[in-house]
Amino acid sequence: MSTRLARALPYALVGLASAYLYYVAAHIEYEHRAGTLGPDFWPKLVLALAIAVCLFEIARVALSGGRGAVGEIAQLAERAAPGEEAPAPPPESLPRLAAGIALTALYVWLLGPLGFFCATVPYLAAFVVLGGYRRRGVVAAVSGLGTLLMMFFFMKVVYVSLPLGEGAFREVTLFLMRTMGIR
Amino acid sequence: MVEIFQNLGHGFVQLLEPVNLLSLGVGLVLGLLVAVLPGLTLVMGVVLALPFTYSMAITPSIILLTAMYVSGTYAGAWTSILFRVPGEPMDVPLLWDGYTMARRGRAAKALGWTLAAALFGGLCTATAMVMLAQPVAKIALTFSTAEYFALIFFGLTSVVSLGGASLANGLISLFAGLMLATVGVDDTYGSYRFTFGVPILRDGIDYLVVMVGAFGLGEVFMRMGQGFKSAPLESVDKVSTQLPTLREAWAVRSTFVRGTLLGIVVGIVPGAGATVASFLSYGVESQYGRRRHELGNGIPDGIVAPQTAATASVGGAMIPLITMGIPGSGATAIILGAFMLHGLQPGAQVFETSSHIVYAVFASVFAAVIGMCVIGYLATRTLVRVLEFPEVIISAYVVMCCILGAFAARNSITDVWLIVVFGVVGYLCDRFRFPIAPLVLGVILGPIAETNFMTTMISYDNDWTVLFTRPISGVIMFLAIATLVYPFVRWLRRLRRAARGALI
Repeated sequence: MSTRLARALPYALVGLASAYLYYVAAHIEYEHRAGTLGPDFWPKLVLALAIAVCLFEIARVALSGGRGAVGEIAQLAERAAPGEEAPAPPPESLPRLAAGIALTALYVWLLGPLGFFCATVPYLAAFVVLGGYRRRGVVAAVSGLGTLLMMFFFMKVVYVSLPLGEGAFREVTLFLMRTMGIR
Repeated sequence: MVEIFQNLGHGFVQLLEPVNLLSLGVGLVLGLLVAVLPGLTLVMGVVLALPFTYSMAITPSIILLTAMYVSGTYAGAWTSILFRVPGEPMDVPLLWDGYTMARRGRAAKALGWTLAAALFGGLCTATAMVMLAQPVAKIALTFSTAEYFALIFFGLTSVVSLGGASLANGLISLFAGLMLATVGVDDTYGSYRFTFGVPILRDGIDYLVVMVGAFGLGEVFMRMGQGFKSAPLESVDKVSTQLPTLREAWAVRSTFVRGTLLGIVVGIVPGAGATVASFLSYGVESQYGRRRHELGNGIPDGIVAPQTAATASVGGAMIPLITMGIPGSGATAIILGAFMLHGLQPGAQVFETSSHIVYAVFASVFAAVIGMCVIGYLATRTLVRVLEFPEVIISAYVVMCCILGAFAARNSITDVWLIVVFGVVGYLCDRFRFPIAPLVLGVILGPIAETNFMTTMISYDNDWTVLFTRPISGVIMFLAIATLVYPFVRWLRRLRRAARGALI
């Protein structure tokens, strides 16, 4: 029973979210013109279909518990695979994953105040170390030289205005830009 | 006909310009490298290359991305055959016969069959693309919004029904993509939809942000969770390519032709790309092939079928892109984005307004097919050594390319936040087996589908039956519904068979 509940849960959540968005769609403000469907019609149609699919899946899981309809590739892969399967993926570490996501979010948050160079060097180093790579010289080269190369390429060649940072960090970025001949 | 050949000739002349040749070469090598690396998919590679084309002229930038697309369908086969590591999802069928052939001491021959299949499929698809594009564009000029909507509907249903492991999950992903596409100001009425008072959402959510996040960052987060540990590579003493003789190739001629035709047709269907083509072709071979009972034992038919179809799908996918502005796959969606970034809207009129660019791109497909095979023949050994490079370092730069690509489009940190959000969404989709392709295609095709649907409704007094009563749109709509209903019918049959079995 609990297995079925766990299987049905994602569909229940998606169904509820769709129902809420349907409510939001029903309250979209617009100037009604006679004979037209309105800007709410298309999203309501999509959401109604999403709710219908979720209800169908919840009912299917509750009644049969088995696997539902599958796509053609999955069918073919099952039918045609004569023995050599792709190797199974390695086990997952949720703390490392969470740390990776948090690190990336922190980087984006600091990108504005620290500027591209000062934020990217520690980010790249931390990312590589978190990913399990420990050779210090390579980590330093990947983060330091890599960031300088990207800065040069994007600012000098592709003309992207990367964040300069604030205060002292801005001065560091401007110094590096002057050194590399970036205006 | 003569005009087509003349234009193609001009296209080849344009291709000889140094900047175009350089783009072609860089695109080929990048495409091959991306396909070899298991953590990087072909679509992701094309996505990551896009920001580098911002400051380029339109022709070399499209040539670069197209060359990546072409060569990306080929090199993943090497790692499937040599190391049992499919570089791309489309290379999984190559494990079944390609790797088996290699394990029996004929790795060079397996690589040779792959090269021959990619060359044949690639040249045929390039020819078909050149011959069909202009006539299709002429037909497309007669299409009304009803036909365009029907075509997009067909593409959306086919990506769901052909692709993922669960039809319901595919549909939910698709609906999520269609909903994301509605965020922002509505084109027809000018009203705000699902902006929740957040100013940046008024501009809508760019599909490039969704693609970069879901495909690029999502994959990196998944590999991060796995500690960037790939399956250990088997040691291969000597990597060389031994081409099949003409007599050997003639013996599997029907497989070459079947795979190529299937690849072109699958490519033309909006939504279905090289992976679908590769699996379908292997499936067709296992049902109708002359040596179907020997498939899986390392026979050439099992290599030729998926590889010809995968490469042949490229030209097929370029046809709806160029002639109707409808991307047939993830990679062509990026190429469409590149066209639009440079101010050119592909569609039925493109042969009138910018035929020189189109034919230069067509010529580059021929050159890319030949170029990738030459590089493949000479440099397989060198290119597969990229697998020895630490994956975490490559992934770190992938993240940087994702972030800089998202930032560069509008110089907005909010876009960078959005790709991190979609990176997490992409990871969760992968984790809970909701396919990403329908989500992304929903975001890309959603606005085109909605505009065409609403315009049709306005033109025909909200009479939705017009979609079924107009001959062309009617046929396409029925095909689309059949595509969607067929897996359910199959599922119901299976249930009934299981119930009958339980009774006995």
